[in-house]
Amino acid sequence: MKQKRKDLTQWMSLPALILYGVFFVYPLIKGVGMSLTDWDGMGKANFVGFTNFARFFQDARAMGDIRTTLIFAAGSALLLNLVGLGYAFLMEKPFPGRGLARVIVYLPAIISPLIMGYIWYFLLQPGRGFLYHAARQLGLEFFLGNWMSSYPTTMAVLILVNVWQYAGMTMIIYLAGLKSISSDIREAALMDGANGWQRFTLVTLPLLMPSIRINVVTNIIGSLSVFDIIMALTEGGPGYSTESLSIYIMRMCYGSRTGYSTAVAMILFLIILIPVLISLRLTRGKEQPL
Amino acid sequence: MKENKMLRIFRVFLIAVICFMCLIPFYVLLVLSLNAPSRVFYEGNIFVPTFTWSNYRDAWVKSRVGQAMINSAIITFGTLSLTIILGGMAGYAIARRNTAYNKFVFSLLIGCMMIPGIIITVPLYTLMRKIGAVNTLWGMILLCSALAMPSAVFIFTTFVRALPVEMDEAAEMDGCTGFDTFWKIIFPILKPATASFVILNGFGVWNNYAQAAFFLQSRDKQNVPQAMSVFFQQFGGAKWHLMAATAVIAIVPVIIIFLIFQRQFIEGLTEGAVKG
Repeated sequence: MKQKRKDLTQWMSLPALILYGVFFVYPLIKGVGMSLTDWDGMGKANFVGFTNFARFFQDARAMGDIRTTLIFAAGSALLLNLVGLGYAFLMEKPFPGRGLARVIVYLPAIISPLIMGYIWYFLLQPGRGFLYHAARQLGLEFFLGNWMSSYPTTMAVLILVNVWQYAGMTMIIYLAGLKSISSDIREAALMDGANGWQRFTLVTLPLLMPSIRINVVTNIIGSLSVFDIIMALTEGGPGYSTESLSIYIMRMCYGSRTGYSTAVAMILFLIILIPVLISLRLTRGKEQPL
Repeated sequence: MKENKMLRIFRVFLIAVICFMCLIPFYVLLVLSLNAPSRVFYEGNIFVPTFTWSNYRDAWVKSRVGQAMINSAIITFGTLSLTIILGGMAGYAIARRNTAYNKFVFSLLIGCMMIPGIIITVPLYTLMRKIGAVNTLWGMILLCSALAMPSAVFIFTTFVRALPVEMDEAAEMDGCTGFDTFWKIIFPILKPATASFVILNGFGVWNNYAQAAFFLQSRDKQNVPQAMSVFFQQFGGAKWHLMAATAVIAIVPVIIIFLIFQRQFIEGLTEGAVKG
């Protein structure tokens, strides 16, 4: 009797598994098969082997998208962590209004990145944007050119908007990490005569490694699949220069190149798998990465 | 550790600058939403709007953002409820019956946790079309629930594992099934887990665009970001006062909810980060 009841209890995870299986695992596996066909979304699908993958690596637009996606992810992860860590150190010690300051810094992260992107688009519009006119009224015109006309400055704008939006989120995780380092350790280092830089590099930073890892990995994974911010700010332009792989997948799918777009998704999947596997390896033995 | 007074002043000044930078786009949005349509070239002081309140009425009517907000609310509520019910039960089963089957379920979910939804979107589209789930709110709910499921199962499993086993054993002695034990005894004390799940995933579901762009195309089924994107493309940068007013209408409820729960929010995030 007891045994039977135990068995029923173990199956309480079945509904979750079915939902996840149907709407995530099944499409994932199906995608592998579809990526090897020339299916256009309507007619008959023919097996074409790795043609889609070969075509991807020969397509200049796709190669540009890979470059944009990687630059965006690397730049975002680096800056988000530097800025987030800086914010956390600034806001760690108490000062009047600390709670309010934390809420304000976090605020952009809860707003839809699409809407945030449109707001920044308006701010940065060449000639008509708010920043342009604000700078002119303040006599700082020389500072503003057409930011969205060349590839490097457009990429910089995209990364900075992303950092502006999510620095607060990174900060919160670093604040949690700093809180878990007991002040005794840092004070002991002070007693031992360690200067500020030594305390930071030899004591705080190593103990902060778990938070750094969580932040770096989630930031890289999140920005590798970037979609909303680019759609709002540039729609992938000028030309296709700032198009990300996610946007490319959507456009190929709408362009009735269904088989090809799933092949691109598989390539993006493999790219994302690299940081995932590294993080799993680094957290081996621990419960789970977040 | 005593901090140098000058340094302290400098630090607070720096924080003030950061906060200013975080708020300025919101301020600009507000100014823009209250500007008269004719004021596109900013004569006079651009930091003060003309207080054209009728923009809000026009934006509300033209953008149909109200319908989008109702849709987003239904999707968010449905997704969170479904994932809490299914994810909670799964977390309980995994934490309390560590069988080979449950180990497999847990590894599968956690293994796929970091795969972004965009990867599966195209094959998912054909599936959704087959079952008639494209342009339906229930289809979007099922899809968003699947995407949020790993996070729910992870949080609930972690929290249930931290509870003493004696509690369920006592209940089972009294003849409760595992199902009853979970819903009557365990689930009510999992409120912190439920709260941190809602906090970590709620805004993401509300703001979902990558999936909505595929699955919610029909006009009366659009969620907030999808409606905004259609509305913005339609006016192509010409009617900024209406776009800004629509954006304000769309983000004000989100900001209010955030401000009401900001304490739990920041704590929940911190807790989630430490547990991870």
